Amino acid sequence: MKKLWHIAREAWQLAPAFRLSLLYLILLALVALALPWLPLAYGPNELDLEQIFQAPLGWGNETNKPRHWLGTDGLGRDVLANVLYGIRTAFAISLPVMVMASLIGLALGAIAGLFGNHRLRLSRSLLAALLFALLPFTYYGIYLPTMLYSQGAPYSDFLLTGTVAISLSLVFVLVSAPLFRRMSFFNRTIHFPTDELLLRIIEVQTSIPRLILILVLAAIVPPTLPALSVLLVLTFWTGTARLARAEMLRIRELPFFEAATSLGFTQRRLLVRHALPLLLGPVLVAFSFGLAGLLMLESTLSFLNIGVSTDLVSWGRMIAGIRTNTSAWWLVAIPGAMLSLTVLALQTFSYYILRFLQHKK
Amino acid sequence: MATFIFRRLLLAIPTLWFIASVIFLLSKLMPGAFGSTSLGQQEAGYYSRSDATSREHNYRQFLEATGQDLPLFYFSITSAALPDTLHRVFPERDRTFLKKLSWQYGNPMAATHFFRSLKEFEKVLSDTERLQIQQHLFSIYSHQEHAELRQALSDIAQQLPARSAITSELIVKGDTLRTDSSSYTYLLPSLQWHGSQNQYHRWIAGMLKGSLGTSLRDGRPVTIVLGEAVGNTWWLLLASIVVAALLALEMAILMIRRSGRIWRSTLLPSLFLLDSVPLFVLAMLLLVLLASPAFLQLFPVYGMGYYSTYDQNWLQQTGQWLQFMALPMLCLVLANLPYLTNQFYQAMAGVAGQDYIRTARAKGLSEHRVIRRHMLRNALLPVITLLSDYLPTLVAGAVIVETIFAIPGVGRLLIDTVLARDYPVIVGIIVIAAVFRLISHLLSDLLYALADPRIRAQVS
Repeated sequence: MKKLWHIAREAWQLAPAFRLSLLYLILLALVALALPWLPLAYGPNELDLEQIFQAPLGWGNETNKPRHWLGTDGLGRDVLANVLYGIRTAFAISLPVMVMASLIGLALGAIAGLFGNHRLRLSRSLLAALLFALLPFTYYGIYLPTMLYSQGAPYSDFLLTGTVAISLSLVFVLVSAPLFRRMSFFNRTIHFPTDELLLRIIEVQTSIPRLILILVLAAIVPPTLPALSVLLVLTFWTGTARLARAEMLRIRELPFFEAATSLGFTQRRLLVRHALPLLLGPVLVAFSFGLAGLLMLESTLSFLNIGVSTDLVSWGRMIAGIRTNTSAWWLVAIPGAMLSLTVLALQTFSYYILRFLQHKK
Repeated sequence: MATFIFRRLLLAIPTLWFIASVIFLLSKLMPGAFGSTSLGQQEAGYYSRSDATSREHNYRQFLEATGQDLPLFYFSITSAALPDTLHRVFPERDRTFLKKLSWQYGNPMAATHFFRSLKEFEKVLSDTERLQIQQHLFSIYSHQEHAELRQALSDIAQQLPARSAITSELIVKGDTLRTDSSSYTYLLPSLQWHGSQNQYHRWIAGMLKGSLGTSLRDGRPVTIVLGEAVGNTWWLLLASIVVAALLALEMAILMIRRSGRIWRSTLLPSLFLLDSVPLFVLAMLLLVLLASPAFLQLFPVYGMGYYSTYDQNWLQQTGQWLQFMALPMLCLVLANLPYLTNQFYQAMAGVAGQDYIRTARAKGLSEHRVIRRHMLRNALLPVITLLSDYLPTLVAGAVIVETIFAIPGVGRLLIDTVLARDYPVIVGIIVIAAVFRLISHLLSDLLYALADPRIRAQVS
């Protein structure tokens, strides 16, 4: 943590571009937070059908309404309000998604890197019992709750299935593990191929381009924000996982880590106290690069109007408005510029952090 | 080399199977089958009943023809509170009602009996009678408490004394439903075996025979629908990747030269800037600037033109194709240029410090010769893997560009089918994307062997 802070300070002092991009990002965050108190004349979804496709700074308004400073779109929605509220939507979707994806990726990648293919030993009986217990857990823990939810059941039913799910899977494990151990085939320990498993999962998932996967899945699930967020998390964790795994493999071979291992620390302590601080830097870089990618993807999806509802205020939706009238250049220029600038700022930020990180090494 | 390629292909099949199966099963598990909204609309049928029955009949025929009335998988594990013949109940509105009913009362048998007699009762009703009791029917369909059902049934029996036979039967069924209800049946699982007569089996058998099913939208085979679209996308992708790679290569060479300082200081930042513009913004900007009457109208805006191509020779055809493809290609090239140039430049800069480059320079070779003959060949190796990894990203770009410029390719097809929920075509597109990735991997292996004689010797 301390090291990251030093790097940020050094970059702040040495690189004006870094300073500029950080200031821009802070400004965006402040505007997004202060929106309810800003004196905006129009709401983002407010229709003004008398003034459609108004150019920015247009002088031609004869009505007594307040002026649309940055123009309006095909339904008379104010561009300024949409652009400002768009900041909110963009970060409200991409920040939590990226945090979740980074956490999942970091955990899985670090574990896979630490244990490799040979370091995690499990007895076959326990593995079989766990797989066996997965059956009641899927039924009571996943299938029944979704059915109950779709039938609008009361909370007590959810509690009931939850307790049944947990207790039944526990009973399954506790009863079946000793039973399995009686058989000679299950009475051996094997190496659990953690690393191999992670790599296979990532390979399967990345064999379809991310945008196509998201589009296809968005056709299946209902177009709501939580569903879209889950989809994005599920497709974005692979990048961080790959990076964390590679870094972990490197850290594992460092002298201090070998010393810590030979001191007999538990794997958990090794992971949390010794490896995690070194992993944070690269993961931060991946986080802000991923955030930029996520911003682009979110606006692309709302531009294509897939996976999001049409009343979601977004830069992509504003840009899509130009398809009905190609002479309304401000509909693509203003939100497009905001989007590009934000992406640029995030990329500059991570570029400098990465450079100073490598410089330190 | 051949065995190597064969092994690669064999390894790719499980991945392909897994992804296609997951997408297929997921798409079937979700409510809202294709056509349920357009073909099965019952609401319009209150005043034109013959029309409604014929429509229902058509919908059922459509489902039978496409095999959608079969169970989904070889076996199914459902809650014991649900009837096992649920997948045969159509339209979807009825299915949801039966599901709700049997879940609510925890007795699938009684629920099915009641449901059937309710449907028969509705069938014999005349329009005026139906209007008379419409409110009670509604409360049967949406009731929450057991008492509401009883109330509604007795009200119906009072209002239609002429049909006492069928209403009394309905009331008896409703009473059994209420008395035989049990509240925690849903906790028990029930396993059913369906055998090979299921949707998944049909689909996978078709896949093995090379057919991907038929499109739900127009009933044409998916392979034909895809075949029409794939050509445009293929040429668009190929042309833009070749142009982008060549441009990136030349720019990297410009920057790597000793006299290339000025290029480095101008090109790198502008490429960095270009990289932060999302593809769809770039495409819309180009569209507004170069193809709209408000600014410069240099290019045709949308589509591929309506002119017939029969009486033209290939040169004219290509010319016309280029006219429509120029702007989409420009978009893809511009969007991919920053990444490619940067990678080429990094690769060449990594090689530039090597001893053999210094030797080449010391021999007195010209800068041109040093770069093209000595540096390029060694720098190309990492770039080849990179290009093959990059091709799928390009496919994603094609989706956006084709949608914006209305090019009838795979990307546009994907958007259309996603909006229409035409799952057979979607699964087909997934298969194509995965196959494309496989081909790009194979291509990179081959190119690798071409570029590096050592690998060629190793493999053979």
